[in-house]
Formats: sequence, C-alpha cells, structure tokens
Amino acid sequence: MARYRIGVDVGGTHTDLVLTDDEARAYRIEKVPSTPHNPAIAVLAGVRRLIDSGVSADEIAYFAHGTTATTNALLEMNGARTGVLINEGLSGVFEVQSQGRDGWSPFDHFFRRPEPLARPRFMRGVKGRINYRGQEIEPLDEDGVRAAVHDLAGLGVESIAVCFVFSFMNDAHEKRVAQIVREEAPGVLVSLSSAVLPRVREWPRFSTTLLNAWLAPVLARYCREIGEGLDAAGVLTRQRFLMQSNGGVMPLAADAEVHAVRTLLSGPAAGVRGASWLLGQVQGWRNLVTMDIGGTSCDIAFIQSGEPLEQADSVIDGRVVGVPALDVTTVAAGGGSIARLDAAGMPQVGPRSAGAAPGPACYGRGGVEPTTTDANLVCGALNPDYFLGGEMKLDLAAAREAIRTRLAEPMGVDEETAAAGVLRIVNAHMSDAIRIQAAKKGLDLAGHTLVPFGGAGPAHAALVAEDLGIARVLVPRNPGAFSALGLLCTDVRHDYLRSEMASLAALDPAHAEACFAALEAQARAELAHEGLDAESAALEREMDLRYAGQGYELRVALRGLPQPLDAAALGEIARRFHTQHAAVHGHSAEDADVEVVSYRLRAIAPMRKYTPAPEPVHAVADPQPRGARRVTLGPERAFDAVVWRREDLHSGWFSKGPLIVEQRDSTTLAPDGWAARCDEWGNLVLERQA
Amino acid sequence: MSARQVDPVTVQILRNRIAGLMEEMAHQFFRSGYSTIVRESRDFSCVIIDAQGRLIASPPMFYHATAYYYLAQKIISLYGAEGLRDGDMFVANHPYEASTPHAPDMALMAPIIVDGVLVGFSAAIAHKADIGGTVPGSSWGQAVELYQEGLHIPPMRLYDGGVLNADIERIIAANSRQPRLVLGDLRSQAGAVRAGRERMQALAREHGARTLADALDAMIEAAGREIAAAFAKLPDGESEAEGWLDTEGGIAPVRLHVRARVKQGRVSFDFSGTSPQTRAPINLRPALVEACCFHALIGLIDPALRYSDSARALVEIIAPAGSAVNAQPPAPCSSYMKSCQRLIDVLIDALNPFCPGRAAAHAGGSGGSIVVAWGPGPRAVHHNQHEIFGSAYGGGQGGDGASGTTVHLSNIYVTPIEIVETEFPTRVLRFELIPDSGGDGRWRGGLSFRREYVVEQPATVLYRGDKALNPARGYAGGQDGRHSRFLVDPDGPGETSMPPNCRVELKPGQRFRIEAAGGGGFGDPALRDPAARAQDEADGYVTPAQD
Repeated sequence: MARYRIGVDVGGTHTDLVLTDDEARAYRIEKVPSTPHNPAIAVLAGVRRLIDSGVSADEIAYFAHGTTATTNALLEMNGARTGVLINEGLSGVFEVQSQGRDGWSPFDHFFRRPEPLARPRFMRGVKGRINYRGQEIEPLDEDGVRAAVHDLAGLGVESIAVCFVFSFMNDAHEKRVAQIVREEAPGVLVSLSSAVLPRVREWPRFSTTLLNAWLAPVLARYCREIGEGLDAAGVLTRQRFLMQSNGGVMPLAADAEVHAVRTLLSGPAAGVRGASWLLGQVQGWRNLVTMDIGGTSCDIAFIQSGEPLEQADSVIDGRVVGVPALDVTTVAAGGGSIARLDAAGMPQVGPRSAGAAPGPACYGRGGVEPTTTDANLVCGALNPDYFLGGEMKLDLAAAREAIRTRLAEPMGVDEETAAAGVLRIVNAHMSDAIRIQAAKKGLDLAGHTLVPFGGAGPAHAALVAEDLGIARVLVPRNPGAFSALGLLCTDVRHDYLRSEMASLAALDPAHAEACFAALEAQARAELAHEGLDAESAALEREMDLRYAGQGYELRVALRGLPQPLDAAALGEIARRFHTQHAAVHGHSAEDADVEVVSYRLRAIAPMRKYTPAPEPVHAVADPQPRGARRVTLGPERAFDAVVWRREDLHSGWFSKGPLIVEQRDSTTLAPDGWAARCDEWGNLVLERQA
Repeated sequence: MSARQVDPVTVQILRNRIAGLMEEMAHQFFRSGYSTIVRESRDFSCVIIDAQGRLIASPPMFYHATAYYYLAQKIISLYGAEGLRDGDMFVANHPYEASTPHAPDMALMAPIIVDGVLVGFSAAIAHKADIGGTVPGSSWGQAVELYQEGLHIPPMRLYDGGVLNADIERIIAANSRQPRLVLGDLRSQAGAVRAGRERMQALAREHGARTLADALDAMIEAAGREIAAAFAKLPDGESEAEGWLDTEGGIAPVRLHVRARVKQGRVSFDFSGTSPQTRAPINLRPALVEACCFHALIGLIDPALRYSDSARALVEIIAPAGSAVNAQPPAPCSSYMKSCQRLIDVLIDALNPFCPGRAAAHAGGSGGSIVVAWGPGPRAVHHNQHEIFGSAYGGGQGGDGASGTTVHLSNIYVTPIEIVETEFPTRVLRFELIPDSGGDGRWRGGLSFRREYVVEQPATVLYRGDKALNPARGYAGGQDGRHSRFLVDPDGPGETSMPPNCRVELKPGQRFRIEAAGGGGFGDPALRDPAARAQDEADGYVTPAQD
C-alpha cells in the first residue's frame, strides 16, 4: 500500500523532488521552479505535480524536506522581533562577542559586525547567578524577570532568548524564566541557552540561543504551512521530516524553541548524507571526499568508514552557531565564478560570481565576464548543444570573446590556454581547500575516493583528483538530483549534550554513568513525544575531552564500552583520546591530565532509507559513442575525447579515456590517463591508469 | 633570477597553496597549543618566507609580519646560507638581536632545503606565558631596562640537523615561572614549523626546488606590482601629525611625530620629530615601526591589498637611532603594543588627507592586559590568569567606529567568563559597554567596555593599560574618546583609581575593574544624523543630553 517516499530539496532556481518506490526499488525525479519569496509554494506544487501524475496520495508513506526557510531568513534579515534576558551586568557578551575580527581584513579600520539580531533596547539584565560548580550564589530575581518580560512583550517581541552564565551546569534559573514567560506573555516563544546548547563558553552558546529564538517563529510558521498543505493534498502520513545540519532529520512537528537553529546548515547536508548512506554504507566505499559544485560555490565534506565528519561550531553569515553540523567547507569556486587579471596582471578566479543573472557569458543573458563555465566550454569539456539535455543552447562565441578580451590577449596567450589556466586555478582552489581540511582533520588523502555532485561537479572531479593524488572518482547516477535523493537516505538524529568540567582520572564512573543516563532519559522522552519508537533508537555516547589547560576539545566515541561505565572503561576512554589527539594534532601526552568538558549523546531513530538494487551486468549490445571532441587542458595537454551519452551506458560498461559522458543534469570528463566504467549501482567510476 | 620562466598560472596556484599552508600551520598550532594565550587569545603567527626572508603572504598577526625578514637576515649573517642544514631550527626572542617585538614573543625558524637549494624558511612567533624577568608574565609596565623583561635568547639552533638541543629547553625551563606551559607551547610551535617545512619540501619535489624558488620570487614581485599600482593613485603632498604616549613616575611624556610625504607613488615617513628613547618599556624597534607604517597605508588605501615584503621598496622610513622608534639597548620594550597602536593612529592622522574616503579618528588602542598570580586558598590554581582586552575604533568617514573590539594590529579573543571562573578563584561581575565612552561626532567613536572582577583568594594583579592620560583624539571636529581607567573597589567608599601600569595586591572580596578607552569622534557633532542619535539613546549607548 504505502510504497512511495518523497524527498524535496529546495535550490536557488529549482526545487528538486525525488520519488522512490519501495516495491520497484527505483526512483523518479521531478523539478519545479523555486519560489524564493515563500519556498513552501514550490514544495507543495511539486508534491501536487507528483500526485497529478498518478501517484496516489494515500500511498505516500514518508515525506522528507530540506528547507532553506531559516537560512534565507538569516541572509535576508527576516527573523522575528526577539528579546534577550541575560545576567545583569553581562550584556557585553553580545557586544564584544569574540573580541576578534574574523572574516575581516586586519587592516580595515572600518570593521563592522553583522547587524544585531536583538538591539540592546530589546535586552534586559536580571539578577541571579549560578557559579562554575552549578551552585546558586544569588537567587533569581523573579519580580525583575516578570517586569522585564512584561516590558519586552509590550515592545512586541515574538520570541525571547534566555542567556545565563553557567546555565549548562544548572538550568533552574533559565527554566524558571521560561515558566514566567508562559505566564506573563503566552504565545511568546522562549529559547533557553541550557536547552539549545548546554555547553561551556558563553558567547557561542548565547549566539546560538539568540539565533534560535530569532528563527523559531519563522520555522514554526513554515512547518505549519507545509503541514497544512500536505493535509490539503491528502498526504496524511505522520512521517513528515525536516533535514537538519547534522545530516539527520527531525519531525516537522519538532519543538522550534530548541531546534530551529539546527536547520540553518541543512542545505549541503542532504547530499553528504546521501553519499554516506548510498556509497558508504550500502555500496561499501570506505573513505570519500564529496564535492558539491553549484553556481557560486563548491561544498566539500569527508566521509570516513561510511560516516560523515562533523563540526561542533560553524560560522554562517558572520554568526557563530554551536550546534553539531556536518563538517562542510564552502569554497567560492563554482560554475559562475568570474575569472580576471588583478592589478599585478596575475590571473584570479572568484570569489565574485556571475550567479544566475547575468550568468556566464555563454548563457547569452548579457554576461561579459568570463566564468568557469565559459572556460569549460572553450576547453571543450562542455557541449554547447547538450546543456540541460539541449534545453539551453550555450553561446560558444560569447564565451570565446569574454576569454579572449579579458584574459588571453592581456596575457599574450591563445584562448584555449587562457581557458585552461582558469580551470587549473579553479581546480586548485578546490584541491587546496580539500588538502587544508584533510590536514586539519589528520586524514591521509591517499585511498580516498572523490565524489562529485551538483551539475558542475563531474566535469572537474578527475582534474581535482589529479591535484590531490587521488586515483578514483565516483559519479553518482544523477549528480544534479543527488541532494534530493539524500533526503531519503537518513534517520532521525537528535543531539544532546551536557558540559561539566572534571579531571578524567578523578572521575567517578558512577557519576559519568548518571550523566549519560540523564541524557538518555531526555532523548527517550523527546522521541516518545514526537511519536517515534524510543525503544528501537540507537543511543551513541561521546565525550568531549582535552588535556587540562587546552582550550579546544576532541570528541571521543564511547562505542563498545560497557554500560554502566566502570573504571576500566574510563581508562580506555583516556587511551582513545591520546590516540585521537596524536592522529589529529601529531602528538599526544600520556602523562598529562585529561579533562572531561562535555558528555554527548546522539539518539538515532532508524527510518526506512532508499536502498537501490544492484543492476546485473547487461548482456545487450555494446553502446555506441555519440562522437568526439577536442579538449584542451593546457599548452601541453590536449586530446580528442570520445563522447558518450549516460543513458546508453549500463552496468559492466568500460572504456579507456579520454572520454566525456553527457547527461541531462551533468557532464563528466575522464581525461587522458583515466578510464571509466559503469558499476552495478549505476555509478560512473573513473580510475586513474597506472 | 629567472622568475620569468614560471608561468603566471602556476605562480598563482603556488601562491594560494602556500597561503593555505600557512593557515594549516596556524591551525595545527592553535589546536595543540597548551597556554591560554595560544588557545584562547591566539597570540601567534605562522609563515613561509623566501630564502631572503621575504613574506609571500602576511599572517593575520601583522605586527609579527615584518620581524621575520630581520630574523632571517640575522640568521644568514650569523651562520651563512651555506651553514644552514636540513633539520635545523633556530630559536630567538631578543628584540635587538632578532627583531622580535619583546621577550615573551619567541620565534622559531627552520630553513627549507631541497637538493642543496635553500628555498626559504618556515617560521612561527608565539607569545609565551612567562619567560622570567621581574614580574609574572614577564612584561612589566615599570621596567626601565631590557634585563628586567626576562630571558633573552639571540638566534641559535634549537634543533641541529633534526636533533633537539635539550640544553636550550632546560635553560628556558629554568628561567620561566611556568616551565611546563612554555615548553608545551614551544613543542607545539616546533610541530607547526616542522609541518610547514615538510609541506614546502614536498612542493619542491613536485615542482623542482629551483622552480619553487623562482615562483616565490615571482609572487613577491607580482604583489609588489599590485601595491605599486595602488600607491600610484595617492596624490603628491606632505602632511604631519603627532601623538603622545602615556608615561608616569616622573618620566617625560613621549611624543610620536611623523611627517608623511608622497611623491609619484613613493611614500616616506620621517620620524625625526619623535622623542628620544625612554626609560619606560614603550620603545619600538624598526621592524614594528615598519609594521605600523604598512598597516596604516594599507588600511587607508585599500584593506584588500595583500602585503608582501616587496612593499619595502616603495616606502622610506627615517627613524633616528636612539629615538623611541629606533631604540638601542638596553632600552626596555615589553609594552610595545600600546606604542604601536598609538603610532598607527598618528600615521592614519597624517595620511587622512591623502585618502579622505577612508579617513578615521584615533582608536581606543590596546584595552590593557592583566596577569593575575593567585595566592593560597581553597582552590588550587596551576597557572597565572592572563587576559588581553580590546577597546574600540574611532569614527570614520561615513560610519561610527565599532565598539568593544581589538583594533589595528591587535586581533585577540576575549577569554570566556565561564572559562575564567572555572579555572580561577574569581567572578566577573560586569562585562558591558561604557555609555558615552565614544567621542561624539558626525560619526561617533566606538564604545569601549568595562570588565569587573571580584577575587576570592589573595591575588597579585599586574595591569598594563593604555590611553589613561592621552585619550583617542577626535578628527575634523569630532570629540575625543573617553580615557581608560583601572579601579580597585569601584563604586564604593574605598574606590581607588590606579596608575596605568601597576601591581596591586588584593584580599579576598576585593574587586578590580578595567575600563578601556573609547574611540575618537569624526566630524562636527552638530552634523550627526538625529536618527542615529535617537538610536544611540534608545540602546543606551549615549545618555540623553540634560537640558
């Protein structure tokens, strides 16, 4: 009966839908124009289009959605009017922030912070203080809180952030404030720093809490609209989910007062999650680097043994966000990145992008500056007559003109050489970023497989892999719709955390067990509240540890350790920490004190995920190439590439490069020195020939 | 040099690769460093320089940037380029011998040698928690000679062909109040320098050592062309400005004076009008003066300009030996930062007429620093509390100054209250902007902040402040910013205002408060947009005028 599952991913120009059919173990792709002013319109229009095409609404068992609602609200500064309650005298935390000037030229005396989400006039100090051990040393001034809430409600705030120091050690004051807000100002949402991010260091916690408060009404409204739209369309399943930054989904009905900020970085997460499930866990590829190339940027992520790497802190549009997110690095290098000569006559590509309008010169929409896409076209990687399957004709002459006038003539080289230079630089931007990230994470790139997706990824992947010494590239079946498919490849994931600093050597195992048990009880209660099966959920424990005196922690997994924890388990945790420290930082100090900073728990409620069936090797006649064209990658590297059409290729197909594979949503280049094959999962596998 | 042989695309790719490598080194160091200074304040830099010591790209800590060149030159003059071996790593922290800013800033520098070719150096400078001297933390605001500022190491090999000279580590440890922290940081720093060297050697093997060396040359030349093109847009002319450094205890005030001349894209700074070197530890060495000059120039012309050491060819600096901007031994120099901050303000003042669109008033300078040595009590404390504070920018053409931030050469993180209170027996009672601390003007100066602590165990607090006597000056009719203060037991009967450099002994229950200086205002206050004024009042940034 209920055989269909829908994934909806909202992009800048298109909203992609993937419909999987559990019976057929196959999927189908739909595309509708995005509606940036209210993305829900396109989402619901896409769902209706699927239903109109014959998918019965009551056979839809599952709906997963990657929303940009909160991200767009932040970029457009369209959050809710928000108030802040903070310890009296400590408002400087919001004013001084880190005190540094990250993201600014150090020379710029016109330094500006992003516009505050809550100006001081919406901020109130209240008396009450918890100390570093979680003990109350000054009672909460409840009358003061009541007056402040009343005051803020009078100013029309829709949401209040409550930010008290050491609330992660003792949340009593913050919880009491929440009760008072419910009494004094029903309808106003409340975000508590102890609930949003109960972690030591006040600025990241307060910043995250304020963002959550500012976004909560936005997300709540959006989810209501989607929910009502699905009801109206007859899609009545309760299995409705939203993608989160951590690569898991949460119920559409999850509590926005705690979770709104967890959707902020969900955009790039779905594709990474798709790669980790489909390529990592189903197909068994161990170590992957993903590279999602769009119009303005390239998103890079790492997958180790099937699991994507995560980061504890992120910065988005100049704001610090401290909830766990998949560790995605964005490089300003995409199809629309503009190439130019700088004042010293040196070639540069990006960070400026021609975007969708005017777009690359070859789009013929008035763009005159050469872009990465123009360079790909002039070099011969792209086919002017088969872009979007021929729906859009590319203007080769315009691309040549842009490259000739802006680059080739001033540099004194021919157009192909200049275009090849653009590609070398843009590819180096991507490989530099991958190399820096790998070094930061202590990973050795040898043995990794590069996975490009997004329409523009597969044209660059083999060349980026060459830069990095990577020998294999895996192009998924539909690179352009890979993020939407990824939405159907994930579980519900909730993260819980509690900071409490202590020496690991002096830690009582029973106390550690009690900390985890409390988090587990919290997780089960939340899952049950969301209507999910709390008993079947996997609960994964981690600890944030550091050497005493260090300022940053490593997350150490407790997988495989006995429960309840005993002294031997704590010893094993210390050993894992030393090993991990040596792997990431190149040294460890077995004789130094190890300090616990936080306890973490992740609850994973498993969902049914899209699981493809392998395709047996085809016995049909060998496919025929569709022609050949000249590709120039530099003064000493040019070749004639055989051109194939993706739909002609089936499991078992193999050919030596140089070759090009064209498909509606992408173009793959396998240069000289590479071979390509089609595997049983529908991937195109490029391998470097010895 | 045959730099022309490397094609521009390869040069550009290598430049980005090396800039990325510097970032990698910094990241590795900062993640593995032990002390608060490295891990929370990030008071360090990591670089790759060419065989002559020239920078390819500048580190975010720009006041270290110019020192590397002098240190490399010194190492070459001491040992000869031929005397350098693969695996060597030099250590130095001597302001006069090594051009490092002051004793706590310790440099490590390793030659990068491939196939017998000296390609360049991998290096890092990092502030050490304590390197001896009269006071904990080594920087004493009342020092009158270098010898009171800690152990000074002229350039020497810490590693000889890859072998650690443990004797040097023992000398450092024996002279430090916090040997474990200092050696821990030193080893992390060596790890970062080693990583830089290895990555550069891998690049040299990939591209050829000669090609890499030529490419370094080409990138420095290219950056030089970019800077020359930017300088060429400056109008010819001459302008001067002055500013005064706070002094106390009968030491004569120090005048910083500069005459800036621009002629056909070349800039000269003449500091002949500056006071002689002083007994106060606020003297500067030429490397720091250069850093200030380039910082002000780039900030005014275009903050996106990339610094490289080729800029030196376009700028002439006249700094008479024996003056406060070219001090000679044994003049003390541990409190260089406030002199640099003030010097940049004076330089911006002098350069404003050349770049009116980016003109600005003085900033609040260094917000001061504290080192707290904790006495006995219920809580065991293992190390000193060291914090460095920011101030605020001055107003500038078109906008108010930013509030509560480090400025100019300083880019240092504030230590979180929750970390301070967890590690030390103290509580932070106040951390907030100071209303009215920014100078009024058409564009207001930024507001500085106050931070107040109560101590719960006996404490020795060493405070070094700035702009207590000579506040941030307004520009073009703007008013001065509020001066800084350091108070003991504020807002009570025992309130005491302390001098800008002091050491105080506090008993449990006593409080101390730092108030940094605000930024200067820009332009006539009468021209300020009434809406901006109303906004400031609504947010409590200024108190409404009393009629």
